[in-house]
Amino acid sequence: MTNLDPDKIKVILATDCGSTTTKAILIQYVDGEYRQTHRGEAPTTVEKPFADVTMGVVNSVTEIAELAGRRLVGDDGRIISPATETDGCDIYISTSSAGGGLQMMVAGVIAEMTAASAKRAALGAGSIVMDVIAANDGRRPHDQIQRIRDLRPDMILISGGTDGGTTGKVVQISELVAPAKPQPRFGSDYSMPIIYAGNKDAREPVSEVFSEGGFDLQIVDNLRPVLERENLGPARDKIHDIFLEHVMAQAPGYDKLMGWTGAPIMPTPGAVGDILQTVARLQEINVVGVDIGGATTDVFSVFDETFNRTVSANLGMSYSISNVCAEATMPNVLRWVPFDMNERELRNHVKNKMIRPTTIPQTREALMFEQAVAREALRLAYKQHKEFATTLKGVQQQRTVGDTFSQQTSGQTIVDNMKLDLLVASGGVLSHAPRMHQTAMMLIDAFEPEGVTMLAKDSIFMMPHLGVLSSVHAKAAEQVFDRDCLVYLGTSVCAAGTPKPGKTCFKYELTGDRTASGEIIGGQMLLIPMAEGESGTISLAPARGIDLGEGPGKKVQKTVRGGTVGLILDGRGRTLTLPEDRSSCQSTVQGWLDALDVYAETTESMAV
Amino acid sequence: MAKAYTPGLLVTRHKKHRIMRRLPIAGDVQVKVNQQVTADDIVAETNLPGDVHPINLANTMSLPPADVVTCMLKAEGESIALDEPLAESKGLFGMFKTVVNSRYEGTVETVSPVTGQVIIRGAPLPVQVKAYMSGEVVNVTEGEGCEIEADVAYVQGIFGVGGEIQGNIKIACVSHDQDLDSDLIREDMKGCVVIGGARMTASSIRRAMEVGAAAIISGGIDDHDLKELLGYDLGVAITGRENLGITVIVTEGFGDISMAERTFEMLREFEGRLASVNGATQIRAGVMRPEIIVPLEAGPPPAASGKFEEGQLEVGRTLRVIRDPWFGMIGTVSGLPTEPHVLGSGSKARVLEVTFPSGEKAVVPRANVELIEE
Amino acid sequence: MTRVLCSLLILLGVAPCIAVGQVVDLAPPTDVAASDVPDDTGGQIAVKWGLSPQDRPAADGSNPVLSYVIYRKLVQTGRGLESGAETDAGAGEIIFTSDFDYEANRPVGSVPYSVTEFLDENVEGGVTYVYAVAAAGPGDSFSPLAVAAIPVTAKMQYINQGKLWFLIIMMVISIVIVYFVFYAKRGGKIKVRPIAGLEAVTEAVGRSTEMGKPVLFVPGILDINDIQTVAGITVLSNVARTAAQYDAELKVPTARSLVMTTARETVQAAYLGEGRPDAYNEDNIYYLTDEQFGYTAGVQGAMVREKPAACFYMGAFYAESLILAETANSIGAIQIAGTAMPSQLPFFVAACDYTLIGEEFFAASAYLSNDPEQLGSLKGQDVGKIIAAFLLILGCLLATLSTVLPAVAPLRMADLYIMNNVLGEDGLIPDEERVTMLNNEINELWEAQKAEPAIDEGAN
Repeated sequence: MTNLDPDKIKVILATDCGSTTTKAILIQYVDGEYRQTHRGEAPTTVEKPFADVTMGVVNSVTEIAELAGRRLVGDDGRIISPATETDGCDIYISTSSAGGGLQMMVAGVIAEMTAASAKRAALGAGSIVMDVIAANDGRRPHDQIQRIRDLRPDMILISGGTDGGTTGKVVQISELVAPAKPQPRFGSDYSMPIIYAGNKDAREPVSEVFSEGGFDLQIVDNLRPVLERENLGPARDKIHDIFLEHVMAQAPGYDKLMGWTGAPIMPTPGAVGDILQTVARLQEINVVGVDIGGATTDVFSVFDETFNRTVSANLGMSYSISNVCAEATMPNVLRWVPFDMNERELRNHVKNKMIRPTTIPQTREALMFEQAVAREALRLAYKQHKEFATTLKGVQQQRTVGDTFSQQTSGQTIVDNMKLDLLVASGGVLSHAPRMHQTAMMLIDAFEPEGVTMLAKDSIFMMPHLGVLSSVHAKAAEQVFDRDCLVYLGTSVCAAGTPKPGKTCFKYELTGDRTASGEIIGGQMLLIPMAEGESGTISLAPARGIDLGEGPGKKVQKTVRGGTVGLILDGRGRTLTLPEDRSSCQSTVQGWLDALDVYAETTESMAV
Repeated sequence: MAKAYTPGLLVTRHKKHRIMRRLPIAGDVQVKVNQQVTADDIVAETNLPGDVHPINLANTMSLPPADVVTCMLKAEGESIALDEPLAESKGLFGMFKTVVNSRYEGTVETVSPVTGQVIIRGAPLPVQVKAYMSGEVVNVTEGEGCEIEADVAYVQGIFGVGGEIQGNIKIACVSHDQDLDSDLIREDMKGCVVIGGARMTASSIRRAMEVGAAAIISGGIDDHDLKELLGYDLGVAITGRENLGITVIVTEGFGDISMAERTFEMLREFEGRLASVNGATQIRAGVMRPEIIVPLEAGPPPAASGKFEEGQLEVGRTLRVIRDPWFGMIGTVSGLPTEPHVLGSGSKARVLEVTFPSGEKAVVPRANVELIEE
Repeated sequence: MTRVLCSLLILLGVAPCIAVGQVVDLAPPTDVAASDVPDDTGGQIAVKWGLSPQDRPAADGSNPVLSYVIYRKLVQTGRGLESGAETDAGAGEIIFTSDFDYEANRPVGSVPYSVTEFLDENVEGGVTYVYAVAAAGPGDSFSPLAVAAIPVTAKMQYINQGKLWFLIIMMVISIVIVYFVFYAKRGGKIKVRPIAGLEAVTEAVGRSTEMGKPVLFVPGILDINDIQTVAGITVLSNVARTAAQYDAELKVPTARSLVMTTARETVQAAYLGEGRPDAYNEDNIYYLTDEQFGYTAGVQGAMVREKPAACFYMGAFYAESLILAETANSIGAIQIAGTAMPSQLPFFVAACDYTLIGEEFFAASAYLSNDPEQLGSLKGQDVGKIIAAFLLILGCLLATLSTVLPAVAPLRMADLYIMNNVLGEDGLIPDEERVTMLNNEINELWEAQKAEPAIDEGAN
């Protein structure tokens, strides 16, 4: 690892080794500021026959080199560093989710309490949680042992008990893990790393349980020292350390890659979480970010400075597309498609996409179908996220007699669409949609934002790169994020409540760079063009029972910002319901798509 | 663009193939380097630790956990039979003793003074690993497994269900584009690897299971039929552990699609030979495709055709379109424009021009083709 | 023996009236009539008469008639004499004769002067009687007997007409309950409002497991025959199931031995149901004392010593409620209370994390079990409550309005109908007498009103 003077860093090369593609970006210091200048992509080469991640990295960097006219890869196949006037880069950084990313198993005493905290720590560190073992997960001990045996995680995180709390249960959980002798995923030549972040009183007996049998036990501070507070930092840091020391070192080609980078390689989702938290903190806003991939969908949220991440395994657009259709059911997917499709063909089509995950839709119909699947995948992933992102459970409540009839349980979701300020989309189907209008529409349909919400996309999935960069050169990361990373789509103004079809839902008046006024009727959508860089003030007068941010029927005044799509007014109400009847559903959806000009006619014929 | 990598499925008449046979946990490898093995030979063996049964004695006997140790009738490591006394409480002046009998058979693994829990481990479960492919043992990792190598004809399928199995190749269809229907499955196909042409029907799979065929292989299958076969809608393509009694492999994809002619002709050539078949598919990181391996007599590998570099898109190469609207069609590359092209969907992507045997030409995204390796 | 005693008592009771069986010159009561009491099980006969002409205060303020004495005789039927009571009251004598012996015959009852009716509640159904009434004066003097013209037989009616409305409302509620039970059984969704206190059970038990502390369950201080204790045991079953799942230690101190036995059974069944029979420890459910404050002190002691992380109070509580809740609050436990004691609820609400209030507490079992029968009946009962609330509001409105506007006939009629027919015992059809009285009253009011404006006009 090199320690460079940040001021001397002028050329930054960053790669993200995803499970299918390796994406590289080049950031250069141009005219007094850092800008992302070029990018390149190549298939990831972790798997056989290549089994060397650096090949994909070199391929993607070569593409940048061609575009930038700068030699980045030397004759020895290594990335040239440090930079000269025309060659190489000052620092090279990378994230990785290739080879299945970081896969973990977590264990805790109570699924909703310490085990949930452990899961949050693991997810926050950017791992995929394969399973959560808890005393109350409903499985018999031998089933749990069998499960631990079958899994081949990269590491195991064990928590449980508050400090001074239960010792017995924690030891009991350890006594399940130890005899199961889980095998690490890569090779058997290193000991299974186990992180213990539970009751400090149980450290000794737990160490005893893992003293033999080839475990590498690491002890960190309790991640739930009292039930009222989480302390996820130490566990998270330890996960990152082990990820580098053990897991990365085992994956094909990573030992080489680690020698090239100027900063520790981070798991991709962990880096995305870092950059979103930074943005939320600096701008004092609530953010939801989503990354929909081929196999999984990650949802990140920062509400009132509380960060949460969920990974919806098996909700994705290629490897998992068939699962999305099965979970959401075909009728739910098809409700977003405004024309008839042959179900048998469609099913085969979905399975073909599953077994050949890298193909892209060539026709408009295929694209519309894929985007319909995306809406459902996002909707399901967001639902899972809401269920996970809750306040802490098991906390004592303070009551007054005034609470007699309004006793709220703890563990309510902290995700509140009305308080959401910024929704960031990334992942192929969202960021590579031919028209940004499609991205905006998918986001609104799937996430159902309420009130006034900014929509943006991470055009080329630059967030992971910037997440790592922020740890090396915060200034550069901030500048690039501001100028190049997010592409603002516009602002959505969505009515919450149940507007009456055909009756006024809300009245609006826009002043500023653009002026417009009128009213939105129930079930209507409207697009007001508002280019990027433009802004204005919108005054909203909702009908009775309709909420736009200040409460039902209350007037709202907000600043709105334009984008590549513009200002979207949505009078469909929340929660969004579509007509049951197929043909009226089709015409309704077609109406919305037309209103937002989602699928502009393309005339180009494909046959040559 | 220096390298345009578009992977295809491997179908080869002759290659040196090496497989790794590995035990789930350390055990005994029973073969030596240079030893010839057949598919059914057991190459390694081990005992998986038995199932674990925890018994909470502290609660059962109403004792503080720390006292459990003193009440044990069996020490750690001792074996215990079903209903044999496991522990006895001290009682009051030697009276009112409670005896707890073991509800499991096995050995006492641990007695925990912290939780009051006794763990009894059941009898070990033997695990055997077979050679799966006839060939020569070329490498032995003591305690873990071995590598077997052979000269084989090798066909990679696109998707399969069911695990490892062997059988003689039997051709059921007359041509590569004939659907495999139930009337083509004959009684004498018991234990055989049945090769079909285009789509296999649900009834043909049922029939093959009836006659006891080892595996059934064809070009395509309907998703609906697969769902019926499995009994559930497959969500992610990770297979190989189904217990269907038959291994099913499709070489091309879902729907009406015929097997590549070359694959079909090659398998026809090997009719009657013993093939090792595995339907396990894992389309994820560490991709695994189903395979059909036909061991051949050892001989010098045929001269490499050398016409094209492996995995390289070049004008003149044969490829298959793997996405509608030309799904399944085979053609040759007739142009490789470097500039991205706007597709009908509105997206911009790198494309290539393909000429179909009919003479029709089409522009297809590079992502939507796969090379047919020759 | 008993009969003799009874007779003696009756004898003592009526002794003054019949001590001397002498007829003096008292005018007898008039128009004696006996009739079967309607809508009963056939054990009552009402006797009515007109006052004796002498039943009025004399010049010296004394009343010559002091009381009326009622006699009855059995009318011989084909079945013979069946009633034992009649033997005392003069069997053998079939009809009242002029030489009636007031002394030898025991009356069935007597009423003071100026009362004109008597309810004979001691008759046998299906037997025919003839009644006679005599006025009794001072000094054991009697008037001649006035005999009822028509004999009467007490009959049983199958439907109590007076309570028809009760029947109708009950039928409606029953049908609604049955409907919802079937609805729930068919898979219909019956939404029960989430009860925060019950949702929090898992949380409270989970907290105990994490903190390695026991769960304390207090099933109230009353015995198992109290419905609140029963409801508490239902919740205990749920808490025990959760404790079994979460592997938490559950302690149940009880104030009654029967409650302890029931609690043990319940908890053991719950552990068994969760497949954790080995985790059940009988000694954790124990009896302290029947003494209210002895028990309270015992529970408090357990709280302070073992510092449970979750405390449940489910049952009937009195003065100990706040003592327990405050102690547990001081040790930082999550507390969930449930009681139907109105006086203790405010204490629980203020001191506990969650409180099940009255009805919620009883609905808990349906809520927890998700059993279609319980859910259906819960929903049906809710409909019943809605009907009751509706009638209540309607009645209040009508009563208010008819007081404010006493001369509006429909309002008065509706008020009368609700008061006497729906809530009272007049049956489906309004009582004619009352209607006539009401009409008269209203007419008077109208007359008065008519008269008043005339005066007003005159004044102007």
